[in-house]
Amino acid sequence: MAHVELANVDKYYGHYHALRGIDLSVDKGEFIVMVGPSGCGKSTTLKTIAGLESISSGRIVINGRDVTREEPGDRGIAMVFQSYALYPHMTVAENMGFGLRMQKRPKAEIDQAVLRAAEILRLTDQLDKRPKALSGGQRQRVAIGRAITRSPEVFLFDEPLSNLDAALRTQMRVELSTLHERLGSTMIYVTHDQVEAMTMASRIVVFNKGIVEQVGAPLELYANPVNLFVAGFLGAPRMNFVSVRLGRIVDGTAEVAVDGGPTFQVPVVADLPTMPPGATLTLGIRPENIVLRPASAGTVPATIRLVEQLGRETILYVDAGLLKASSSESGTANLTVQTAEPRPLHTGEAIHLSLPENALFLFAPDGRRISRARPVFS
Amino acid sequence: MTSVWRRQLRRISPFLFILPGALLFGTVILLACVETVYISFHDWDGMGAMRWIGFGNYAELIADPQFYVSLKNNLIWLALFMLAPPLGLALALLVNQQIAGMRIVKSLFFMPLVLASVTVGLVFGWVYDPNFGLLALIVQAFGGEPPALLSDENTVTYAIVLAGLWPQVAFCMVLFLAGLNNLSSDLIGAGRVDGARGLAMFRHVVLPQLTQVSFIALAVSVIGALRSFDMIAVMTAGGPFGSSTVLAYQMYEQSIFSYRFGYGAAIATVLFVIMAAFITWYLLMMNRMERRG
Repeated sequence: MAHVELANVDKYYGHYHALRGIDLSVDKGEFIVMVGPSGCGKSTTLKTIAGLESISSGRIVINGRDVTREEPGDRGIAMVFQSYALYPHMTVAENMGFGLRMQKRPKAEIDQAVLRAAEILRLTDQLDKRPKALSGGQRQRVAIGRAITRSPEVFLFDEPLSNLDAALRTQMRVELSTLHERLGSTMIYVTHDQVEAMTMASRIVVFNKGIVEQVGAPLELYANPVNLFVAGFLGAPRMNFVSVRLGRIVDGTAEVAVDGGPTFQVPVVADLPTMPPGATLTLGIRPENIVLRPASAGTVPATIRLVEQLGRETILYVDAGLLKASSSESGTANLTVQTAEPRPLHTGEAIHLSLPENALFLFAPDGRRISRARPVFS
Repeated sequence: MTSVWRRQLRRISPFLFILPGALLFGTVILLACVETVYISFHDWDGMGAMRWIGFGNYAELIADPQFYVSLKNNLIWLALFMLAPPLGLALALLVNQQIAGMRIVKSLFFMPLVLASVTVGLVFGWVYDPNFGLLALIVQAFGGEPPALLSDENTVTYAIVLAGLWPQVAFCMVLFLAGLNNLSSDLIGAGRVDGARGLAMFRHVVLPQLTQVSFIALAVSVIGALRSFDMIAVMTAGGPFGSSTVLAYQMYEQSIFSYRFGYGAAIATVLFVIMAAFITWYLLMMNRMERRG
């Protein structure tokens, strides 16, 4: 049975429909990461689970109990806020013990719980300090410690690492994953950082405009996004999208053509939407799948517009005149290529690209993926 | 040549910017304070020659029973004005609720703030009038004898303080409303998740966030109580028989009506010392609070 369940949750702010029928079921011990662009409803969803925001309709169940109308303090949850939200007038120990104190637990029990959390988070030397005297990373650990002492059914994290610098964020990411393994608790985590999502999640929930676009394991979402939005959202640099025209569909393989350019054969799913021949589709390919080749039949000529050297690999923004990007973000450059090419590459250089057919995605005019699903590890 | 001039200009420009303010503050506040202390050592009628009498004015002040009446009344003002911050907070919490029509209620509570204190004094003077006042009407409706609050030396100060409290409470309410607007919603959220509600939420989560505002409300109320003057001038002019006078009013009365500027200056200096002591304590507390975070 699901440990946390959202059933048909709707949320209105006045006339604004913030959450549109969210269904989500989380198993015990899962680490769920909710991602999406700002304003997509991920934080709102988290707050409705916490009980900090009421919902307009639907049901929220935690551990088999309908908590839809319950106060946050009664739901068996703990929350870590982006701003840490530590009580500034209390010491670290008082901050961490406040939840238990509100439950009128005996002092010895509170002290013991605080000490145990402080040991897990290496905060034993900081217990008498006030939050002001701590660094950002320490404050974040106190906020996590405050959650741990309540031994909740579910941990909720609202972009907890976004106020930390890059190095600390990487470290805290590892610590949080370790903590999850150690406590085995259910955790629901909101972030806009897809590295956090990909590395920490048991399952990712992709939000967009108040609906859930797709739920699944990180690599499953990466390999088989259900639609254009998920395909474009997960992966950095972003997937390339090119407008193509539909030709014939033979034996479950669609032939698509770039106007005046190359044609591609893409295996497609069985239940295709009805599309007239000549319909405009979107072809997708991830930057790391494009290959630099010597000029030959089937390669696409291109000119390098910008080079980003990352050390192990190089990102190229190229202008492949034949391929019309369906949404261009960087001027004349319409393709992004990620390559481990060992030789130096320069702006203005002419290159030839090959788009391997086994790495192509195809999307119907309504955005849904129609290229056939492929195994996660290929 | 021009670059030298420019460099000089850059060096002196901060001083030029500060100059108007410094000049104004220097003459109107600092110089006036120093001069008041200087005058307090003289016998002076405000026009003629000043005669140095050393601590003569202060010796007279210590022996003056009226001075103690003023001092005692100032203490009453001070004590009762300490009600303004908690009452203001209570009102702020009340009108901060999201209830239809609360805006109108809020603006009604704001009203005494926009009224000149002379107006407030005048209105309360009428309310207290034993013949046609609102208070008299209410007491008569219950079959009682209307009290003449402002002519009774035992009640007069309390009656004026009550009038003075009205705008003071409104002012504190505005301060606390601003403070309540600035509450961190994340902190409130954290408190709710931690299971704090009702009184516990107020005491452990809300009130600590209002410490700064409370201190400002306290300071404004103390200073308001110590410099109370206009209400007394309008409602009783210190009467009956000087029983409602305070230091500020006694100073004014001695200087303007009795032409004893030296004596008035001595009273002003005493008031100044009391205020300075309070402000020193206040700054020390603020400083300590800031260091504690």
